Amino acid sequence: MKRFFRIFKVAFESINKNRTRSLLTMLGIIIGVAAVIMTISAGEGATMQVENQISGLGTNLLMIQTKSEHKAGINVRMGRPIDKKDFDMLQKNSVWMPQISPLVAIGAQAIGPNGYKSTTVYGVSYDYFYITSREIKLGSFFTEEDVKTAKKYCVIGETIREELFPGQDPIGKQIRIDKVPFSVVGLLREEGSGGMGQDMDDIVVAPYTTIQNRLFGHRRGYNLIVASALSEDHIADAKVEATELLRESHKIKDGEEDDFEIMTQIELQEITGNITGILTILLGAIASISLIVGGIGIMNIMLVSVTERTREIGTRLAIGARESDILTQFLIEAIVLSLVGGILGIVLGVIGNQIIYRATDFFIPTAIYSILIGFGFSALIGVAFGYFPARKAAKLNPIDALRYE
Amino acid sequence: MSLKKVIETKKLSRIFKNGEIEVHALTDVDMVIEQGEFVAIMGASGSGKSTLLHIIGCLDKPTSGEYSLDDVRVNELEKNQLADIRNQKIGFIFQSYNLLSRTTALENVELPLIYDRTGRFSNSKELAKKALEQVDLADRIYHRTNELSGGQQQRVAIARALVNNPALILADEPTGNLDSKTSIDIADLFVRLNNEGKTIVMITHEPEIAQFAKRMIYLRDGRIISDKIIEDRSTKEIALKELEMPVKY
Repeated sequence: MKRFFRIFKVAFESINKNRTRSLLTMLGIIIGVAAVIMTISAGEGATMQVENQISGLGTNLLMIQTKSEHKAGINVRMGRPIDKKDFDMLQKNSVWMPQISPLVAIGAQAIGPNGYKSTTVYGVSYDYFYITSREIKLGSFFTEEDVKTAKKYCVIGETIREELFPGQDPIGKQIRIDKVPFSVVGLLREEGSGGMGQDMDDIVVAPYTTIQNRLFGHRRGYNLIVASALSEDHIADAKVEATELLRESHKIKDGEEDDFEIMTQIELQEITGNITGILTILLGAIASISLIVGGIGIMNIMLVSVTERTREIGTRLAIGARESDILTQFLIEAIVLSLVGGILGIVLGVIGNQIIYRATDFFIPTAIYSILIGFGFSALIGVAFGYFPARKAAKLNPIDALRYE
Repeated sequence: MSLKKVIETKKLSRIFKNGEIEVHALTDVDMVIEQGEFVAIMGASGSGKSTLLHIIGCLDKPTSGEYSLDDVRVNELEKNQLADIRNQKIGFIFQSYNLLSRTTALENVELPLIYDRTGRFSNSKELAKKALEQVDLADRIYHRTNELSGGQQQRVAIARALVNNPALILADEPTGNLDSKTSIDIADLFVRLNNEGKTIVMITHEPEIAQFAKRMIYLRDGRIISDKIIEDRSTKEIALKELEMPVKY
């Protein structure tokens, strides 16, 4: 134990003696570990935002849409469109979905007195606000009655207000969507940016009846039916119920496939979780390449060091060091180099995360496991890339080593 | 009763094979060195003295023949045991000192004790200090090697060879890198250590340094051609006086 400690000391001293070189050698590891930590943390941050975003989509959300298939890069609808008949049927018969709303979406220009903005217009029923847990900041939502009578009312997001009514109260004002005039009755509370980068406040919400009548003209299908399950525990029940009701109403025989799709919020989270997870792994893998390059740097320097110190190794062997002593000494030197580099890299990574957070407001939680990965990886690299030079040192013939000029 | 044998070799031979060519570096070397001796081994380059030193120093093994060091039969030992024997029984002194650069004298002298596996040394720092006192470097213990002169560096190396209290001190051209006056000082130090009971084997090609020893072995082409007691041993005073004499052509 005492001997091990002394060999440790010898390794430290040798690193300390060549400070500039040691630091330059460590630089590869420092940058590598910092890169791993920052990319993994950024990936985690993105995952967190997407998750928040999805849970922000609504409480216990279910989305029902026509089945579509990805063909040659485009989504092709496979079944009949989800329509008013489906909606009325579900609203009438469903036990587990107390709130349900059609959703028709259209990309359009919102034109105000002071500006205009390309945006997405959602046509929904009153239940939509409950399903998506959107809150109102100014004015009010449109009512169930407004939906029935297809009133030209709309609720707008903060981004639209900024563009169309900078610094003004928009309530009661008129805007035009394409050519149709709407009165603004409410302003939504800000939701911020979504996980995929979309702006959740760049939105105009109006009764779906109005949108269908005024903007769609003839089309009767919906993009989606959104609903919220009675509680979190009943999301699965709601999905089963909706599936059965729709199969019955669409007259789908047993054994035939559904012509619609129902996605729950949990499934959505899983899918996006997978995507961001893959992204994180990919980024982390790219960052690890720099770690490996750093390791090669260490190996290179250690090889130079072994050659430079051939005579020292010979002397040590002559005065009674065993091969294993020399191996340990150089291995420890490599491990210490990479571990110190690893620790500095962790510090740099955490600071880097903070800097990005301060500069962009994109919150990056420094993932604990990314620190462990960075630390573990650097130790591993020390062993892996230090072993070869250390073995080379240990296997030197003492007679030749003593003669080495 | 004869004194304890530190070195005993019987028909020691060492053959180097280089492809087809065999080089007989040592042939049938029989040699006994007893405790308290001070032996100078001389010979031209290629005479086999380095090979002999490597074998005596347990850095190399003979092709045939037997070698015992301090009652240990070296032939039968494997690598790690050889390392331990070197650590416990031999103190090496090299021509170019082979000290660790930018390291203090004290740490250099401590070095053999780092590799000690017997646990017989409790306070390596104290021992190192004592060894440095023995070579008159008590006031230089915290100097780094690059701050010391050649003679002082060789003294540090000698202290390093003394620190583990070895059965044998083995010096390979210890004065080869030193000027004449410093060489005499080092040779004188060897005499003093020998008087204190140390067994010393020194390889040298400088006759005036060999003259300090008690016994001289002369090698030629791998064989001992002469082995005699030195009658008129040199001393520091004599050597210094000779140094001042005009060179004869």
